[in-house]
Amino acid sequence: MSDTVTVDPALREHVVETICALLPRVLKREVPDASESTTLMDDLGMSSTTGLELVLELEDRLEREISVEDLGRDDFETVGTLASYVAGNLLDEED
Amino acid sequence: MTVLAGIGTYVPAGRVPIEALADEFELTPMQVRVFRRYHKLGEAARGEETLTGLLGLALDDLALSDGQKERVRYVLYARTFPNVVPYPHNPLHEAVAAAGLGHAQAFSVGQQACASGLLAVDLAGRLVAADGDGALAIVLAGEKAFTSEARMVAETTMFGEGASACLVAASGERDRLLSFVARLRGEFDGGHEEVAAEFQRIYHDALGEAVTAAVAKAGVALEDIAVILPHNVNTVAWQRTCKRIGYPLERVLLDHVAAHGHVFCADAFINHRTASERGLLRPGDRYVIAAAGAGRGATFSAMVFEH
Repeated sequence: MSDTVTVDPALREHVVETICALLPRVLKREVPDASESTTLMDDLGMSSTTGLELVLELEDRLEREISVEDLGRDDFETVGTLASYVAGNLLDEED
Repeated sequence: MTVLAGIGTYVPAGRVPIEALADEFELTPMQVRVFRRYHKLGEAARGEETLTGLLGLALDDLALSDGQKERVRYVLYARTFPNVVPYPHNPLHEAVAAAGLGHAQAFSVGQQACASGLLAVDLAGRLVAADGDGALAIVLAGEKAFTSEARMVAETTMFGEGASACLVAASGERDRLLSFVARLRGEFDGGHEEVAAEFQRIYHDALGEAVTAAVAKAGVALEDIAVILPHNVNTVAWQRTCKRIGYPLERVLLDHVAAHGHVFCADAFINHRTASERGLLRPGDRYVIAAAGAGRGATFSAMVFEH
């Protein structure tokens, strides 16, 4: 499970910032004051498909592939939970 | 006891890529990538045939003997959409007559969208059992992607053309119906935008519950289910459903999602044919056919059969 994977705090923080920067682009509107605790579905009304768009945008921005095998709805709870999942599920480069 | 005695299928060779639908449905390049990467929907089947032609080709593939044709008393046409051709065409009656089945009572079964196929199999089984004299029924499915609504469901799926024809009897060696569960969710009777978020939220739990309930009703364990023959809505929906119920995704036959798209009520039966051809169904195997339908209201359905 993603929440048991040890993640690099600096990497995770970088992912949080990247997600917050990408939210307006994915949701096609301003998202003021987005933070780690912002809930994606409840606060922002994100659908499961826009969630997947966000993951694809993250791949482009981070220039790394993200394994989505274990990506579940719980991981889309908040910006922070998604960042934890992503930071723990980046595939090795050149894999 | 209802048995699925034979299945005929037809999928046209033509394909339309998801990119070709982008303008019509205002899909962004990123949404197209999501469809290809996660939903694993890349192309949908398209043919030049009329709907009568599609249904007729599935009936031909069923290859009934003259003796079987004489015994066919009912032809049920399971439909995703209430209207599948412009008035006054009646492709069901045309296809049935052309196949030499004009003596059978032919009617449509709907109201459960893409789950109507399972409902029709259940109804067909009950009709021939009530007659009790060796009567047979045929369940037809398959539609044309002839309107925007019948080409794509936003964020969910793209429809492909094709057809299936299932021969249903009241008794026989194969494939015996062990259980049927249909969960009707009337609260999703609303406009797409109003109910879509909640529908997406409960989709995987509800579909998984229908599967596990049907398996329990059949008196078998989920790990004894050899294969799940799904509707082709998309791959990520089945990934998430499998994760919830603890069933291995590799035993869900998703071979045709990428190239056929969601073939209305017919895809689970087309998948049955593929499972047979791939040797995935051995005598005695128990398997699940499952589908979910949404339109005005939603239905989550599953059947367990023994091969």
